[in-house]
Amino acid sequence: MKISGFLKLVFGLGFFCFSIPGLADSTSNIDQQWTEIACRYEIEVIPHAKSKASSNNAWFFWRKPGMIQTQDADGRYGEIWERTSNGSIQYRKLYHADRTAVEYMPADMPTNNISFDWIKLSSMLNQQELNALNIVKKTQVFGRSAELRKGKTDNQTIEVLWLTADNLPASIVKKDKTSSVELRLVEIAPLSAARKKPADVEEIANYRHIDAVDFGDMENDPFVKKVMNAEEHHH
Amino acid sequence: MRNPITDVFFSDSQAYKEKHIMQLLKKLSVITVSSTLAACFVQAAEPTPENWFNAGHQAVIDAMHLNPNERHAKNVILFIGDGMGISTITASRIYDGQQKGGLGEENSLSFEKLPYLALSKTYSVDQQTPDSAPTMTAIVTGVKTIGDSVSVNQFVVHSEPSANLVNANKLTTILEQAKEHDLSVGVVSTARITHATPAATYAHTANRDWEGDSDLPAGATVADIAAQLVDFNINGGIDVALGGGRTRFIPKTATDPEYGVAGKRKDGRDLTAEWVNKHSNAQYVWNKAQFDAIDPNTTDHLLGLFEPSHVHYEADRVAHDKAGEPSLTEMTTKAIDILKKNSNGYFLMVEGGRIDHAHHSGNAYRALTDTQQLSAAVQAAMEKTNSEDTLIIVTADHSHVFTIGGYPQRGNPILGLTQGVGATEPDLDMLGLPYTTLNYANGTGYTGNSNLQPAGSKSFKSAAGAWTSGSEGHNPASFLSAVGRPLLNNALVQSPDYLQEVVIPLGAETHAAEDVAIFARGPKAHLFHGVMEQNVIYHVMAEALGFAEQHDAEEHDEAHEGN
Repeated sequence: MKISGFLKLVFGLGFFCFSIPGLADSTSNIDQQWTEIACRYEIEVIPHAKSKASSNNAWFFWRKPGMIQTQDADGRYGEIWERTSNGSIQYRKLYHADRTAVEYMPADMPTNNISFDWIKLSSMLNQQELNALNIVKKTQVFGRSAELRKGKTDNQTIEVLWLTADNLPASIVKKDKTSSVELRLVEIAPLSAARKKPADVEEIANYRHIDAVDFGDMENDPFVKKVMNAEEHHH
Repeated sequence: MRNPITDVFFSDSQAYKEKHIMQLLKKLSVITVSSTLAACFVQAAEPTPENWFNAGHQAVIDAMHLNPNERHAKNVILFIGDGMGISTITASRIYDGQQKGGLGEENSLSFEKLPYLALSKTYSVDQQTPDSAPTMTAIVTGVKTIGDSVSVNQFVVHSEPSANLVNANKLTTILEQAKEHDLSVGVVSTARITHATPAATYAHTANRDWEGDSDLPAGATVADIAAQLVDFNINGGIDVALGGGRTRFIPKTATDPEYGVAGKRKDGRDLTAEWVNKHSNAQYVWNKAQFDAIDPNTTDHLLGLFEPSHVHYEADRVAHDKAGEPSLTEMTTKAIDILKKNSNGYFLMVEGGRIDHAHHSGNAYRALTDTQQLSAAVQAAMEKTNSEDTLIIVTADHSHVFTIGGYPQRGNPILGLTQGVGATEPDLDMLGLPYTTLNYANGTGYTGNSNLQPAGSKSFKSAAGAWTSGSEGHNPASFLSAVGRPLLNNALVQSPDYLQEVVIPLGAETHAAEDVAIFARGPKAHLFHGVMEQNVIYHVMAEALGFAEQHDAEEHDEAHEGN
């Protein structure tokens, strides 16, 4: 399962995608103020049924003005979101081992009802979602100020440990009737001092690029075949 | 005031009918059964048996008066509906007719009124079900080749990187021959202008995906497709190229003017600037305002690239394009207005490229509306040209696994649930559930749970707020088995974003292997007949333009010299 699949488990269907027209444009100043940061997270999915095995995954998250990048622990797969000069958001899936990027055209986003919320991309939760959770404790995590927030929706409880200065979660724990999903920060550092750096944008530019819309005409392409098979096996 | 067409149908006088049928024939070169009946439906709710009989008879009279045009063509316009199989044409015809307020079935798309028709066998040298590269190669070079190959013969291995080997095996295209004969040439598409179908007219490469230099493997010496378009040097170069695919024409150091994404060229070339610099009276445009401002009388070379990748579906073009982009019809008419200035004539290829993409996405609505737009483009071309000197061909490169089934009653909404004759409720399957008339044999509309959408009917668009990673709303990487079928209703299935149900779940719907149609009018159009190999299309165009005779003469001369 790809990173986005795990994140979807943690954050529900709302993660990374929001239909709030115009919001992205209003966020450019905030984006500039936020710290450039490198994080390593781990996600664990624990089914309540003992017959089902738990699963976990580690991944990296990097943030700097105009760019969010993620990568799985073995460095084979990642995703990148970039704000372009005119406020559009360019999204690409990165298959580093194949030096290939699958791109999703900004032109196709409105057609498909997709609009990215840059704030949520950058911090995983937006202010509205945070406000829905009650602050129950102020604490310190990794030497940083944090707030423990808790809340309840129809069928699940959510607990977030929020790094206030970094605008990022140190943990998110979501429990419902079937499973518990936990996202935990295990490393955090300024991007300049990070042990592992994101893939260089210049280097990504040299990857082979495939428009996702072309997959239908690339059924014989070895990369497309491999990706589709790999994702099928992950399911 | 009397209407001569309807009077023929509705007069009781046989003498009146016969007299006026003959008068009509003098005025109308071709009246098809369908167009006559369509006129009838406007006048009356239901044609009578006599109407049907007379219309059928009229068609035979028309056919008897068809005179093959043996002249040479001054101009050739080749329309390609990418993936426009016969079921797509039928469904689009009905959809178009219903949009016009009719029952639909009696309607005809513009190109269905062309007098000559054949079927085209689309297989390639190595594929039973082909892709667009070898099929378009067959259409524009007269030679079938292997999958993914663009206007090179079958002896070049797939992804051959050597320019020398590619050049040694390249196949001359009808567009190149037209240029050599001092005709003007144009290429128009709603896909990237470097995509397989348009590329086959002007480029030669053993991998259709090598559209920009960043797509080439290290060490490759063959030029990328975008560079081949701009570097095309026969007789002053290509005159008109309109479509999508901007990023492969600009360097990675530059940003796209509409979206700000980076260009893709690693070699630093700005091919849009080169186009303007190397050609006379040349313009480059990337949005509709610039396009509209182009004066065909003062522009001899026009490059228009309206999106970083493919241009919008017609259904989304006006509502969603940021900078505005012209329709296929507008691009076609502008191209003709520029090309027709050449008194020697022109060759123009026009592709409705996104019919194929909509089908791959399993979305019939967008396939039908893009076919409608192709029909409008053909109509515009017919109106701007003379059938005496211009050969117009409309065909497809291949088909799709798109079906029209069940027993819907006449006039049933083509996108709707199947409802039988006299029924007041939709027909039910053996599970007791309604079903649609349009379906796909395979693809993305499978109703099991996918990694992107829950079990049940699938949508082209993601739900608001939902994660999606596809530029097409539903590009699943995996499915779980479906349990039964979903309960459908007409509001859902007639939504533009509904994905028709499929039998076999795949990440993308596939091409199909059955024959496609060839429609034609004009000089030598009568040479299209029966079931033909796809590569025959080139030979009819060459015959019409007089290239075949020259080829024969040259071979004759060579034979004499050899003796």
